[in-house]
This record gives sequence, C-alpha cells and structure tokens, in this order.
Amino acid sequence: MKRRDYLGTAGAGVAGVLTAGCLQVEEGESEGTKTTESSGTTVGDTADSTTSESTGPLTVATYDSFFGDEGTAGRWLKDNWEADHDTEIEYVAPSNGINEYIQRKRQDAGIDADLFVGLNTPDLVRVDQALPDTALFDDLRGDLDNDGDIKESLEIDPENRVVAYDTGYIAPVYDGTEIDNPETFDALLEPAYEGTLLAQNAQSSDPGLAFLLWTIHEKGSEEYLDYWEGLLANDVRVLDDWQPSYNAFLEGERPMVVSYSTDQVYYNAEDELPHHQVSFLNDQGYANPETVGRFADTDQPETAAEFVDFALTDEAQSNVAVNNVQFPATTTASLPEEYDQYAHEPPEPVTFTYEELAGNLDGWIESWAQLVASN
Amino acid sequence: MVLPVVGAATLAVLAVVFYYPVWTVFVSAFADAAAPIRRVLQSEFYMGAANGLFTHPARVPGDVLAWLASVRVRAAWTGLLPDVWVRYPEVRKGLFGFTAWQAALSTLASVALGLPGAYVLARFEFPGRRTLKSLTILPFVLPSIMVVAGFVATFGTNGTLNGVLTAFGVERVDLLYTLEVVVLAHAFYNAPLVTRMVTSAWENVDASAVETARSLGASPLRAFRDVVAPQLLPALAASAVLTFVFTFMTFPIVLGLGGLQLATVEVWLYARVQQLDFETAAALATLETVVSLGLTYVYLRYEARRAAGGTANPLPRKRLFSLAGDLRSAVVRASIGVYGVVVVLVFLAPLASMVLASVGGLSDPTLEWWRFLLERQGGSRTQPSVAVRNSLLFGVGALALALPMGVVVAAFSARGGRGRKVADAVLMAPIAVSGVVVGLGMLQSLVFGVELFGYRVSVVGSAVVVAAHAVAGYPFVVRNVAPMLSAVDDRLVESARALGASRARALWDVELPLVWPGVLAGAAFAFALSIGEFDATVLLAEENAYTMPVALKRYLVDRAAGPSVGPAAAMGTVLLVVTAASFVVIDRVGGRYRP
Repeated sequence: MKRRDYLGTAGAGVAGVLTAGCLQVEEGESEGTKTTESSGTTVGDTADSTTSESTGPLTVATYDSFFGDEGTAGRWLKDNWEADHDTEIEYVAPSNGINEYIQRKRQDAGIDADLFVGLNTPDLVRVDQALPDTALFDDLRGDLDNDGDIKESLEIDPENRVVAYDTGYIAPVYDGTEIDNPETFDALLEPAYEGTLLAQNAQSSDPGLAFLLWTIHEKGSEEYLDYWEGLLANDVRVLDDWQPSYNAFLEGERPMVVSYSTDQVYYNAEDELPHHQVSFLNDQGYANPETVGRFADTDQPETAAEFVDFALTDEAQSNVAVNNVQFPATTTASLPEEYDQYAHEPPEPVTFTYEELAGNLDGWIESWAQLVASN
Repeated sequence: MVLPVVGAATLAVLAVVFYYPVWTVFVSAFADAAAPIRRVLQSEFYMGAANGLFTHPARVPGDVLAWLASVRVRAAWTGLLPDVWVRYPEVRKGLFGFTAWQAALSTLASVALGLPGAYVLARFEFPGRRTLKSLTILPFVLPSIMVVAGFVATFGTNGTLNGVLTAFGVERVDLLYTLEVVVLAHAFYNAPLVTRMVTSAWENVDASAVETARSLGASPLRAFRDVVAPQLLPALAASAVLTFVFTFMTFPIVLGLGGLQLATVEVWLYARVQQLDFETAAALATLETVVSLGLTYVYLRYEARRAAGGTANPLPRKRLFSLAGDLRSAVVRASIGVYGVVVVLVFLAPLASMVLASVGGLSDPTLEWWRFLLERQGGSRTQPSVAVRNSLLFGVGALALALPMGVVVAAFSARGGRGRKVADAVLMAPIAVSGVVVGLGMLQSLVFGVELFGYRVSVVGSAVVVAAHAVAGYPFVVRNVAPMLSAVDDRLVESARALGASRARALWDVELPLVWPGVLAGAAFAFALSIGEFDATVLLAEENAYTMPVALKRYLVDRAAGPSVGPAAAMGTVLLVVTAASFVVIDRVGGRYRP
C-alpha cells in the first residue's frame, strides 16, 4: 500500500530529481491516503488562499532530529498545521545543514526550500560572512504577527531577519554519586576534577562550540586559551560529537559531560536523578537559541510566514519545546508541570551576541583547536 | 572488442562520479601559484619540525646537526645487564607527522592481528572454517559510531576487559582516550583486510612446488621461506598499504575514541570544509593524496617484480582439533588458542556488546529497542525493512559494476611496464582521496549540477549511488586480482589466442578460473564497502532511498528514543546479521560458480 503510494508519487518526482537534483521527501505515511501532489493542483477548498502564490507543499529544511515520527517537534507542527490548512509541510534534512544552502547560493544552484529551521547565532554569523553581497534570508519578521512576545535575550539577529522558536541551555551534566557539583569554572582546574570532564569538538558540534564560547565569555578572548591549557592539563577530553561523549558518560567512563540543562527530562526516575545532575557553572548556562529564517528565493513567502506565525502560537510553542526537549522562545507559552520540573533553566543565561561573534568566531575556534591538537 | 568497451565504460563512470567531482575541489588548492599548499607546508602546526624544509631550507642541515649534537646517550652497568638511556630533545611531529605515525602503528597492529588469522584459515581444517572465512571482513562494514560504542563497552573503565581483569584479581587498565585504543580500533577495521587478502593468496600456493622443495631436502621452514613466503608477500604488502592509506585518512574513530588531542589531518580537513574554507581543505587533501598515491605507486612497482601464481592444487590443510602427537604441533595449537582469545576480545567483544546494547545490556534486559524497530516498521519516516532492501539493492548493484571494472583494470595493469603502473596508481585514487573531499566534490558538481548548454544538469539518484559505491569498491577487486593475474603463465593465454580466442575470451576462459579466489575476495570487499558507505549515500540518494547505516544514524538522533544508543544498536544488529548472511552467500555461490 505505502510502497505503491511512494511509486505513484516518485514517478512524478523523477523528472524533478533529474533536473533539479533535489532531495525528494516523499512522506510514506501509515494513513495511506496522503500522496504528495506534484502536479500543483490541490483538492478541496482553495478559497482561503489569500494570494496566487504557488500551492505546492511548503518545504522546511532542518536537522534530522527535528522531524520524523510521533514525538518530534516537526511532526507535531506538520500534523496540527495540516489539520486546518491546505498547504502540506515537507521536511528535508541536508546532511551538511545550512552550509548546503550557502554553497547553493554561491553557485547559483537554486534553493528548493522555503524555510530553514535550526539556525543558531554562529550559523547566522557564518552565513553573512560567506555571502557578504547576497541575501540568503529575507525580511521574514516584517510579515509576522506573533513575534511580539519573543524573549528579549533570544533576539540574535541585528538585521532582524530570523526569529527564535526555541532555546536550549548548555551546561555540564554530572553524576552526583561520583563527584560533587563543581559550581565554578575554576573548580574544573582542581585536582578533584582531574579526568572527569568530557567536552566536544567545537569545530563540528553545537554543544561543544557553545561550551567553548561560554569559556571565552567568562575568561575573555585573551585568557581563554590559558584556561583551556589548564583544562587540558587536568585531562579534559574533547570528543567529536555529543552522542559519543554522552554515551561514554552513560557507560560510566567519566562522571561529567557537556550537555543540555534539560537532561533530567529523560532521566526523571527516582533511581536515575542522582546520576543526572546539572551544574550551572558560575550560576550560568550558555543559551543556544534556535531560529527560523525564510529563504529569499521562496515562491511562497506568505504561506511560509503564516507557518512561522503558527509555530509561535502559545500552544505550538509549548509543544515544540517539549518535543524538542528545549524551552519556548516566547514569554507567554507555558510548559507542562511535569516537564518544567525536570527541565532546568540557569539562574543567569549568557550568550554571545551576533556582533560579538562576527569577525571573531573562526579565529577563536581555530586557535582553540590548534591548542588542543598540538603534536 | 569486449574489453575496450568495458574499459571505456569504466573510465566514463570514474570520470563522472569520481575524477571530475574531486577535481572541482582540488583545483582551488592550486589557486595563486598553489599558495594554499605552500601555506600548509610552511605551517608548524601542520608540518611540525618539517616546516623548516619549506620556510628556511638553508638552515635545515644546521638544525639537524644541532639536534643530533644534543642527543645524550648514557650507558651504565646495573647488575647483570647494561642499562642504556637515550635522551633527545622533543621533535614536533605536526598534524601530518602525527597522522603518519598513528597510521604506521595501526598498520603494524593490523598485520600483527591479521596475519595469524590467515595462517589458521589457510592451513588448518576445522568445523565452520569456510563460514568463518566469509565472516572475517564483517568488522569492515560496521558504522564507526557503533565501533566507538562497542569499544567503550569493551575497553572502557567499566568495560568487559576490566570486568574480566578484576575477576582474576588483576589491576584495571585505562585504555580509553589513548593512542593505544585508537590503534586497536583501526586494527579492528583493517586486520580483516590483511587476513582475507593473505588467506586467498595462501590458498593459491601450489602444493607441488612445496613438495618439490621438500623432496630436494629443504626443511619445512626453508620450503616456507623460499616457496610460500614469496607468494604471500604481495598480498601482505598490498593489504598493509591499503591499511596505511585508510588509517592515514581516518576520521570519526580517532575523535570518538581518542578525542581532539589525537586529531588527524582528516579531522582538520573536515573542520575546514565546515567553515567553508575550501582552499585549505583542498591543500590538505592534495597533500594527503600525494602521500597515499605515492605509497601506492611504490607498492605497485614492487608488486610488478613479484607474482603469486594461480593454482588448482592448494596446500593440504591440517586438522586443527586432531590429537597432537609431537611437541611442535602442541606449541602451534597452544599459540592458536592464545590468538583465539585475542580475537574474541578485540573482534567479538565489541560486536557482541552492540548486540547486547540492543537488548539493554545484561544488567537491565529489555526488548524496548526491538519494539522501537517494529514500531518504526509500522509506517514511519525510516523503516528497517526498507533500509535492508535498499542496502542489498545498492550492494548487489555495486558488486555487479565493481567486478567487471576491477577485472578489466587488473587485466590492463597486470601486463605492462612503468607507464601502466603510473596509470594503475591513478586508477587506485578512489581509495587515496579523502572521503570528505569526495563528498564535497559530489555535492558541488553532481548534486548542485553543472551548466551544460544553458541547462543545469545534476546527476543524483539510486543509479548514481550504485556507481559511487562501485567506484569506491573496485580498487579492492583490482588489488586482489592483479597480482594473481600477472602470475598466470603467459603461454596459456598465448596458446588460447593462437587457437583463435579473443582477448576477452582468453581472460574469461583461461585466466579468470585461475584467479577466482582473488575475484571472490574482491567481491566481498566491494559488497562490504557498499553496505557500510554513508556519506555519498546521504548526498546522492533521495530521502526515501535510505540504507542501513543511514537508518542507524537517524535512529541515533531519534527524539522518541532519548539519548540511548539502544535503537541504533538494534539496527546495527540487523545490519550485522544481513551482512553476515550476504558474505556467506557470496562465498558459497561464488565458490560453486567458478567459471
């Protein structure tokens, strides 16, 4: 049944693949009734279409874990949006993230997505640095109605193009049965914490980069390398990505790992909590807001804006946050009690602004990486 | 007529899915009179002490002499044995130096772990030998993320090894995040390569030559040294070179088990690509490839001078479990026993720990993760059965393409002089170019498309995935077949030609049956490579043409499952079973078929 659906739509898609070379997302759903209309005709009432823009599906580019099955933020948005809109939502997840679209823009290869979900501040800095003369994103904010309640601290774009839809906080997670809460950055240099911390490669990992930026924020751009020399002398380990480092933490390899402050959401059983404690060093946590931008090349600007507005409603905000294991971006959204109890927010969220990162980011990362990897 | 056509088709496939895409990346290394390459060569971070050769060559001899002058050697008698200390100032290896150093260690470890396996498989008979031989390259297909998890479970602080050690009252060992464990993981991947290639060479040794040597009075050892060893060396050297090249370009394993402190060139290359600094990335890739291809060329010159013959008369195998009469065979069997323990620890334990992780481990068994797979099967973005089907389709397709490509290139390079060796080295490029660069090249040429006659033509889809897999796999076929092919007696082919057979006919009827074990070994590698491939698949296949490794990766970040590796381990177990069955089928069918 599903297979047939797929074949039926893939036939129409093949021509597209050969000419545009796009990643085709055919949702093979269990409902079995959904087929992607490639012909551009929508069945049913089209009266609520305000303009004559393209009526094909809205393509949302994002990262792999944002969408998929039940229990993902993307799936919730898709299901609830499609319940009372004619436009379907299609997700794509290019393996190299935003770089895919930067390179497409550079080479004039055409961008077949309408929105990009999952931009953080360093991403945005990199976009503007790589494309100084062309606009990858347009003025989405000008078309939004629901962006009035975004938390001030999550406004990361000086040019006001993108809008935050959720945020996470980076902080060490430690096993309270093995070590005490270090509480400060300086404590991590002490003998008690020798060989306890697992971090990630800031060159390729989001939490890894957030932790590095946090140390720069705390120690200053002149002294952070000295601090890291101390950390390295105290046998911190820098692994490639969050998954291997967190797995090693779970295996009891090391009692502390750079992770997210929502860690206890997954480990809230009586016997698990002691092993999953969050340490807000210096009473802080590094905020990593996630934003959505609209591609300047979109042929459905209004539908795209409408969809983002929908994602900023209170109901969507709390569902996206819970499903994505993050926090809402708006001040008005509320979290379910049982979730709120285990998702911790730092007393003082810190983060670098766009202006602070611009022009410094690559140099900071490279100096740090060369320090760690010197042979 | 047949051979030139297949040869031309091979070149066309290579040009479209490999040479052109890679060229689009490499070309930026040569911008501005190769300035990016010069910058890398002059950087102390990349080159270590060797950067002096490019920054101030005139001072190098003096520096070397000064260094030699500061080396201190002290000898003293303490008790019965002389004690010798050599102290010398530390030399900075740089990123390239360290990368080469760990690759050399990894090659040694792979040979040390792989060679005894070849001896056991080729010279002894025991129940399950053929199946075991088929399964030797299983580690080859495992996604690195699972290998890292398996090694943590085996060699970690609370791992299997330390569990065994404490049970015996021995001190725990801290292996994780050391160079040793990275080298061991590289051996996990590459020792099977050594085992498989040397085994097929060993099985091709002509027993009558050994018997002749023995009847002329040579001792068994002497017969081995003069008759058998020369026929094994090319296979051993080939697998060692391949291992060095692979571990020289290692990437995820080194970060997952060692950390950024043990970074290799490939780690930097990837980071450069992430930061869109394609010039430095291309420069690093160019230097990597110069090293890899240079080494390959040196090996090919050596291979040309030696040859391993094909035979229908292999050495008789001893029965492993028969009662040993004399001391020598008792010692041999005891050594094999010790080796067996090592194999269990290094190869089986990580695999077993992954299977265990899929059922939640011993302490807290659960079927949750298998239920997760079943749920995904019931209609989801990523279904296990679809992944299995796509993997098998791609694998079989890649095999069907890689075998003729490999055999034709092997036939081309087996007979020929220096010029052909250069061409042969260039044809080996798919294994000597960084995977990150191949991916980037494919992205900016095949996926984004190329302007042709005012149209943007892009080449993606399942057929391209198969082609990319075949290109990655065919060098294995070449390296397994070429040495055997060059050893086939020329007179056999000439008589066939004299009797009116075409060149293709002679290859098919006369040569192929004689080198069939090599073809089979190559086929297993090509298939394994396709099954395990991730990067090109993600780039080139549509969203719904996901394979087993792709599904595994998606399950790993599945929010519903939380941070557990359970779902990925369950998918990894499926991958393991499917691949194992495939290898057995390839060997059985191939063994029976023998043209």
